[in-house]
Amino acid sequence: MTLICNKGEHTNESSIPVIVELFGMARIASGRLTVELNSQPETAVKQVVNALAEQCPELVGIAISEDRMTLLGSYKFNLNGTEFLSGNPPRLRSGDRLLLFSSQAGG
Amino acid sequence: MYGYNGKILIIHLSNHDVTWESLPEIVLRQFIGGSGLGAYLLYQHCPPKIDPLSPDNPLIFATSPLVGSRLTTSSKFAVLTKSPLTGLIGDSLSSSFVATELKKTGCDALIIKGRSPSPTLLSIDNGNVEFLDAGDLIGLTTSQTEISVKQRLGYRRRVICIGPAGENQVRFASISNDGGRHAGRTGPGAVMGSKNLKAIALRGTHPVPTSQPDQLNKIGLDLTKRSLGPATEKYRTLGTVANVSIFNRLGTLPTRNFQQSTFDLEEQINGETLQSNHKVKKAHCANCTIGCEQIVQTSDTGPSTKGRMEYESSFALGPLVEIGDPNVMIRAARTCDELGMDTISAGATVAWAMECYERGVLTELDTGGLELRFGNGDALMTTLELIGKREGIGDLLADGSKIAAEKVGNNSSNWAMHVKGLEMPGYEPRSLKTMALGLAVSTRGACHNRSSAYEADFSSEVDRFKADQKRGQITKDGEDFNAILDSLIWCKFLRKAFDNLYEESALIYQLVTGLPMTGTELKRSGERINNLKKAFNIREGWEQASDTLPSRILEEPLPTGVTKGINLTPDDLDMMVKAYYDARGWTVEGLIPDSKLAELELIDIVKEPGPNQKEINIDV
Repeated sequence: MTLICNKGEHTNESSIPVIVELFGMARIASGRLTVELNSQPETAVKQVVNALAEQCPELVGIAISEDRMTLLGSYKFNLNGTEFLSGNPPRLRSGDRLLLFSSQAGG
Repeated sequence: MYGYNGKILIIHLSNHDVTWESLPEIVLRQFIGGSGLGAYLLYQHCPPKIDPLSPDNPLIFATSPLVGSRLTTSSKFAVLTKSPLTGLIGDSLSSSFVATELKKTGCDALIIKGRSPSPTLLSIDNGNVEFLDAGDLIGLTTSQTEISVKQRLGYRRRVICIGPAGENQVRFASISNDGGRHAGRTGPGAVMGSKNLKAIALRGTHPVPTSQPDQLNKIGLDLTKRSLGPATEKYRTLGTVANVSIFNRLGTLPTRNFQQSTFDLEEQINGETLQSNHKVKKAHCANCTIGCEQIVQTSDTGPSTKGRMEYESSFALGPLVEIGDPNVMIRAARTCDELGMDTISAGATVAWAMECYERGVLTELDTGGLELRFGNGDALMTTLELIGKREGIGDLLADGSKIAAEKVGNNSSNWAMHVKGLEMPGYEPRSLKTMALGLAVSTRGACHNRSSAYEADFSSEVDRFKADQKRGQITKDGEDFNAILDSLIWCKFLRKAFDNLYEESALIYQLVTGLPMTGTELKRSGERINNLKKAFNIREGWEQASDTLPSRILEEPLPTGVTKGINLTPDDLDMMVKAYYDARGWTVEGLIPDSKLAELELIDIVKEPGPNQKEINIDV
């Protein structure tokens, strides 16, 4: 699978690059391992999701809800492989990596 | 009676006695079915302290009230016996039309006792039991056996059988059924083999009615709809092999016999790659709307092989033995299925042997010239065949990693990755502290499925890297929840489709059986079942020291990935185990006080063994 990194279009002075790593059907549907976004350091998850939907519209209906603001119940985020995100806005730093993968553990 | 037959069928292979016994309604309500009913029957019918491979060990197949209801995922049965791998409770589930066929013969559970003097094919046609010669089936693989039995007795039959591994009493042999489904963990196939029972052919025509079929259908349709929603998306698309890539990224993919938690060749064998390059189709268990099974095929120039692939098989026959060729992994899984062996224990035992070889504890003199190194696919395939036949190095490995390490010595127990004799599944416990506790205290040994304790670790509920006391209650609750899933029996993958498992299942139980049931009572049954399983283990010689993890887990920090440097200290594990005992209401030594037995209405069962326990069959 080819690694394709796309840079977000909306940038300003305080924006920081954040990488979203895709797993499972999100990876297969988008044909991407990662997506690069520009984000504010203190941003709501819904803004990250919205930016992701802009760059990967094929994820809408697979991992992202039709409103493009929330993940479907079947997906979740983990920050840098160490912190599972709940409802609270994550504090993102430049180079942070958000892992997008199935919320169903087990098997 | 609705939902149950209210009877068990007991077949003595030694003297061909066939008896039917009633099951009291109170037993059915207290132990539900499946794993719970099986545990009750095991406690009643297994004489204490017997050799698991002796004729006295009962082999129990238990259905459940939901079997035959056509509710999604409900065609399951449990196999209970004293495990030849652990010497404790052996407890395994399988999904297939065997569950419905067995129930339609007129029993809720089938108990096989004794030992046949010669290889036997047991025919159960409704209430008619025949003992047929199975000499011509000896040596056949599981699929060959099933085909042969159907050719002989008719394609309408549902078949339970063992492969060469079961015949040779490989201690982690599985019981195959209905087109390659397996009850594998804890080695029930070895018990079936010890009884000279090669196969069982079932035919049943007595449907068991439900109490409120119209209401049940309505609820069943809603449940089917939920089974196709976000709660099961992973299982319906990539299946459980989706775990490989994300587990690797999270540093929790056991690799190289648990020396690492990341695998450099992960991209070659992960679920996404299998989906793109090897998937033939998805498949469903009987009466299941989810369809998590991935049927995959080799793509190289070697012999074409097609088979099922699950996460646990891919972990154990991939990263754990450092195999990065998906074609080898597919062939290895199929070989285990055909020989009739649990893929987890098979892979983990070979991984132990590979580490022995690389450390010089086993040499080419021991392996018959095999270069049994990590990553050697040919050596893996040859070794699996040798295990199934108990030939050469396979004879040693057929006893599992615990016994093999005890025989080999040279500190090789330090890298035998098992708990209580059952090899570890594909969840790295150092990086999943709740799972670490679940693996340490599970009654069947290193089992992820009886607690699903990993679920908390894969959430924001806990910090998966840090041990704390609240893991005790989480693990206890998870075990009780899973005891109900395994007794009704629902598929684990349906669990998130329920808003409240206990309340919704209690209503369904009432609609199926017509018996009163509440969510509170069901939850209590989950606790009762787990306490009875523990009581069985205590009776069979469980010791507190066995509620632990392999020394590698407690001594070596993880060396790679995001979990680099993460460890689990003996003190941390001890603290969590104590918290678990406390949550269970057990003593600090992990024993069940009489007050707890009384609270759960287990005193009479545990303290006053029934006549069946004392029954010793005459060996032949």
